[in-house]
Amino acid sequence: SLAMELPPSHFSAARAAAVAVGYLRYLRGGPGRGLELRALRRARRQDIDDVGHKYYLELELEDVLDKDRTVSCTAEVLYHLGSRGTAPDVQVTVQGELSSTEEADEEFYHRIRSLEKELVAENIPDSHGNVPPELEPIHLLAWVASGYVIWQNSTENTKFHLAQVKHVKQVKRSDEDLQFDFVVLLHEMVSQEVLPWEVTVLWHPQHGARVPQHS
Amino acid sequence: HQVLRVLPKSDEELQKVQELQALEHLQLDFWLAPRGLGLPVDIRVPFPSLQAVKAHLEASGVSYSIMIEDVQALVDEEQTEMLRSSRQLPLNTNTFNYEAYHTLDEIYNFMDMLVAENPNLVSKLEIGRSTENRPLYVLKFSTGGTKRPAIWIDTGIHSREWVTQASGVWFAKKIVQDHANREGVASILETMDIFLEIITNPDGFAFTQTSNRLWRKTRSKHSGSICVGVDPNRNWDAGFGEAGASGNPCTETYHGPYPNSEPEVKSIVDFVKSHGNIKAFVSIHSYSQLLLYPYGYTTTPVPDQQELHEVSAKAVAALSSLYGTKYEYGSIITTIYRASGGTIDWTYNQGIKYSFTFELRDTGRYGFLLPAKQIVPTAEETWLALKVIMEHARDNPY
Repeated sequence: SLAMELPPSHFSAARAAAVAVGYLRYLRGGPGRGLELRALRRARRQDIDDVGHKYYLELELEDVLDKDRTVSCTAEVLYHLGSRGTAPDVQVTVQGELSSTEEADEEFYHRIRSLEKELVAENIPDSHGNVPPELEPIHLLAWVASGYVIWQNSTENTKFHLAQVKHVKQVKRSDEDLQFDFVVLLHEMVSQEVLPWEVTVLWHPQHGARVPQHS
Repeated sequence: HQVLRVLPKSDEELQKVQELQALEHLQLDFWLAPRGLGLPVDIRVPFPSLQAVKAHLEASGVSYSIMIEDVQALVDEEQTEMLRSSRQLPLNTNTFNYEAYHTLDEIYNFMDMLVAENPNLVSKLEIGRSTENRPLYVLKFSTGGTKRPAIWIDTGIHSREWVTQASGVWFAKKIVQDHANREGVASILETMDIFLEIITNPDGFAFTQTSNRLWRKTRSKHSGSICVGVDPNRNWDAGFGEAGASGNPCTETYHGPYPNSEPEVKSIVDFVKSHGNIKAFVSIHSYSQLLLYPYGYTTTPVPDQQELHEVSAKAVAALSSLYGTKYEYGSIITTIYRASGGTIDWTYNQGIKYSFTFELRDTGRYGFLLPAKQIVPTAEETWLALKVIMEHARDNPY
């Protein structure tokens, strides 16, 4: 069937956009880059028989560390019929270039690698919304980790946001990756529940981030 | 970290608790060690060990209670308290710090100072008491008359939405300032009264400060469940108990055993009914940056849909004009989700045409944990939208 135009204020468009942003954060986020949705410009929805519901989105994003710059992208989010345990299929195309984070990434990498004791932190942000500057990269890596969890666990009836990093612990590795074990609190908007989630992130300045299989 | 309290009632139970002491990898910290039958054992349990400890106790049928849900919060609070006591308390509402989050007592004190400084404009009404017997205070701003048509604003009905109570404090001061300077809402106050309930859920608010920063509901205990609290925005008598609320007391959208079961809700219901002349009702939440009008419990549009949509468009444009903050707007059910038993669905059905809900900053970057430096910008921009609504209510009597 044909794709139907949705008002950008409609809740189903907003939920699909949140999935796309979570996916993009997982793919392109890092300690030096946190992408936030500035505006949802356009949304269309298509009901595909025997397959599911597909959303076509035009998004405007901003980098939280460089708010004057915005970048446009298009996204397709396909929620599978039944949605039981299957993550939505997401494709995102970024128009233009995201600003380079090479310098910040290298600086962060070397700072963490040269710590004598593994990094441990709690409650990011704290109750008053404060994030100490040296923990902002960890906060952004939590966005990467929760972006993965949000993408994997979203349905048309959910909208997740990272409420708080409850706990983070660095785990020293014998290879070149940095490893952080997170306990994140995800706020699910429809049920209003706050759900704790354990997730591990591996990150390397050249290789980017990944969430290992059994996380 | 949580602190669990166990009261061993038999030798077997005592032994089970003592077994825990030997398990070093759990890193338990016994604040009160096992001493004997009937004597409490208090254990500080680090987060990663919680599940194991609870499972160990539950498997042996040993009952425990959670004494302190979040030790870190207490530590933070203590440290903040220490800082605060070494600072000067505000002497008046001009030295009050609007750019910080405050405690329940500080906000109650602010209210009293505001009334004392402006006795001809502001009075404090107690409209009821919370479950834990805290006063429910409403500030009344009035230049006279008898039961003039009125505007109602509430903040903090969901306790974790801290930017709302903080904005309510700013609104209170702003109303007084506008009146003194004969600008802004001074003209509205010539013919209308403003009622402002800043801490609509004081029990929940206190709990967010001592135990769980992300607590939403009230703190009521209804029989038949160990879980605490009712969602005060599902407890109103509009589509009560229908789809869009939960019947499970352990969930965040639990509607409660019956409409108005919560004193925090009933007190407002009673106030609105006995006043009888409220013309605009605005209930303020966070986060998501939305301006919403009824209904939440049904897809049937309200009869005044077009007018409310137009007022919303104007209000949102005014809000954006200050800092460029983007809001969406629409009915609750099309814009956010189906929700039954909600505040403004009830007020609308009572005949209060201009019933709106705000979801303030932000859109998820900080969510409930909005940095304090955003309090004043949020309050300032929201105030512009509120003025549009108030002026429309004044200029369109019904």
